[in-house]
Amino acid sequence: MISILNRINLFKPVPISPLVTFRIAFGLLMFASLIRFWWRGWIGELYLKPSFHFTYLGFEWVKPLEGNGMYILYAAIIVAALFIMLGLFYRVATVTFFLGFTYAELIDATTYLNHYYFISLVSFLLIWVPANRKRSLDVMLKIAKPAEFVPSWTIGIIRFQMAVVYIFAGLAKLNYDWLIEAQPMRIWLPAKSHLPVIGGLLYKTWIAYFFSWFGAIYDLFIVFFLLNKKTRVVAYVFVIIFHGATAILFPAIGMFPYVMIACTLIFFPGRKQFGLPSAPVENFVVRKRIFTALAVYVTIQLLVPIRFLAYPGHLFWHEQGYRFSWRVMLMEKAGAAYFTVKEKETGRRFEVNNSEFLTPLQEKMMSTQPDMIVKYARYLAEIFAKRGVINPEVTGEIYVTLNGERSRLFIDSTVNLASQKVGWQNYQWVLPYKK
Amino acid sequence: MNKRIKGISALLSGLFILFLSCSKDSGSGPKPPEPGEFDKTAMLTHYADNIIIPAYQQMQEDLGGLQQAVNAFADAPSEATQDAAKVAYTKAHLQYEKIEVYNFGPAGAAFLDLYTNFSGGLDYSFTQDGELTGFSVDSVTIENNIASGAYDLTEYSRSSFYAQGFPALSYLMISPGAIEKFSVNTANRVQYVKDVAGRLKFLVDKVVNDWGSYRATFIGNTKTDVGSPIGNLVNQFAYQMDMLKGPRIGWPFGKQSNGIVFETKSEGYYAGIGSQLAQANINSLKNAYTGSGNKKSVAGYLISLGKESLNNDVLAQFDVVAAKLDAIPDPLAESFLTEGNKIEDAYKEIQKLLTLLKTDVPSATGVQITFMDNDGD
Repeated sequence: MISILNRINLFKPVPISPLVTFRIAFGLLMFASLIRFWWRGWIGELYLKPSFHFTYLGFEWVKPLEGNGMYILYAAIIVAALFIMLGLFYRVATVTFFLGFTYAELIDATTYLNHYYFISLVSFLLIWVPANRKRSLDVMLKIAKPAEFVPSWTIGIIRFQMAVVYIFAGLAKLNYDWLIEAQPMRIWLPAKSHLPVIGGLLYKTWIAYFFSWFGAIYDLFIVFFLLNKKTRVVAYVFVIIFHGATAILFPAIGMFPYVMIACTLIFFPGRKQFGLPSAPVENFVVRKRIFTALAVYVTIQLLVPIRFLAYPGHLFWHEQGYRFSWRVMLMEKAGAAYFTVKEKETGRRFEVNNSEFLTPLQEKMMSTQPDMIVKYARYLAEIFAKRGVINPEVTGEIYVTLNGERSRLFIDSTVNLASQKVGWQNYQWVLPYKK
Repeated sequence: MNKRIKGISALLSGLFILFLSCSKDSGSGPKPPEPGEFDKTAMLTHYADNIIIPAYQQMQEDLGGLQQAVNAFADAPSEATQDAAKVAYTKAHLQYEKIEVYNFGPAGAAFLDLYTNFSGGLDYSFTQDGELTGFSVDSVTIENNIASGAYDLTEYSRSSFYAQGFPALSYLMISPGAIEKFSVNTANRVQYVKDVAGRLKFLVDKVVNDWGSYRATFIGNTKTDVGSPIGNLVNQFAYQMDMLKGPRIGWPFGKQSNGIVFETKSEGYYAGIGSQLAQANINSLKNAYTGSGNKKSVAGYLISLGKESLNNDVLAQFDVVAAKLDAIPDPLAESFLTEGNKIEDAYKEIQKLLTLLKTDVPSATGVQITFMDNDGD
């Protein structure tokens, strides 16, 4: 144990500046993107308008706050983001931000985005690292002691998090559709032919291959070039070019490119400091605790994205183990879902009008994701029971198209979905994928 | 430094060459055609100049005729003026089906669909009690408006939508006892029916007028995101099919209500032309999809993307649906009660076409359907 601790050298004092840069960039970016979110009316659209929410397993208790609650929550995390940037009441600000942001994200799984998950994780990590010990109001107001050095794990864990995002995103691209068929790029790029200069090129098949392969190679290797002193600057130019291009080509991806451009700054080390590092010296017990916590965190981060291996079949089709795995812009998928509620005893049949219960976004997301299909079916059973249907059975005729393949029946349309449970088990009623 | 950079470039170029050779060697099987450049501006220009604007102009003309006939009927209600009004009404309502799919831009801004031919909206089901849904007419509000003489047809509310447009006109002119009702409170009734016809004309005049300046915006935007012309077109195909499956056919037929038929909520109920309207609707949708049989169309775009078989299937399914709707005799409201099998047949085929237009076609064209940020489905 001690030898591992020494070898990894988690506690070597290193200059604090990467952490400070990261804190300021992250806080500023969160401040801007949350205001954008508010300004676009998405608080109402995503949290208040829907009459039904697709909760996460184990987080069914998370509900939109009543009245102005959601707006107050967002105001709180916007202020917290600002405070993170300024380094003011840093610990309180990071805790507030992490809890508030994560709560909002847990309300409805149809709003899931990988970079929201990333933001939750990073804000969680920020709680534990002393990013407010330099260039912060906390230091100026003497709330926190200034420091020039921090233990290397505080920067290392954020770098690790970035590496997880990139490398798993890269590994996810190593599949037949992406590399050999250049899908979904071949669908998405011709849709962007309005762009000046390159617009016409986007119809070319070779361009789709180029983007697919470049994207995969970039994701897999960029971290190593960022870690290496000699290639770092060039690599960061690539970061800007790559994410800049995705922002131009796929504006619908939102803040993700900017988040990544800002967060990769963590790979730049601070300038060499003269004089002796006055890093905090933790005793062995504290070190052991930190080591254990880091080990647990790292293990979870490495296992969650590969949990899909536990499920048979084609991941993109059944999406079991798809979320929280850094699968970004990987597939073009759409579905049409027709549900019927039946009363077995009498044979009464009611076809469901999804627009009555779901927003277009919810309907779109639900139509292609089995766990959401079950949640919705169970909700329908509840509603129709209230409308006087005895022991309602819910079946779904659902058609899904994946990466430009023709739409096909997605699930067994004879199964009573209302009697299925959401959980970790394999959903047997999802039909096998056929090309 | 140099070594590293050389290393990177060697790796990158190696992989690049690898995939180039892969993509060339794998040409043994049937390969989809290389997608050529598709001129989206030319497509949009074709839509605007040869299809959409002429359709609105025809609507304008038909409403001119309708307004004349309505005025003649209102001034002297008789069976003769009623018959003439019914002919003009039918012509105009059928023409409306040809512009409904273009309910974006100026028409969207004017809420044309809500004020002329309110369907009740897709988010209102037929199972909720005591609510006006589908293509209902709010005769209570209409009679109140006439009795009081005080009403504002520009009001944005469901009861306002249900008290004007084609459904209200048909109630006022051709519903049972329509002529007799003019003997009471005559002046107000005459005024109301003229106002309803006048408002129809006013709205379409405005849309035609606004297309004059919107045309440049329309053909100048070749994006495919939400609210873009191409996005609007593709989304409207799915929306119109949803309407056909729901308010036009499925819901009044009782699909949501265990077979309880709501025949009075069918489109064109008093005129008894529901089946004709549905046929006109699907034909106009096909016309919009194919750009009147022109390559400068969504159909042509799919072909240029190498999606010929999808396009063929969509076209074939359009024809199947049209044939099934043709087989349903008018009045549609009566057929809901007596021709259940034919309705059921049509309904099944409508759902197949809806699936194609809601999943395969938007997916193949990369068209977005929601405003939210999206990191890839």
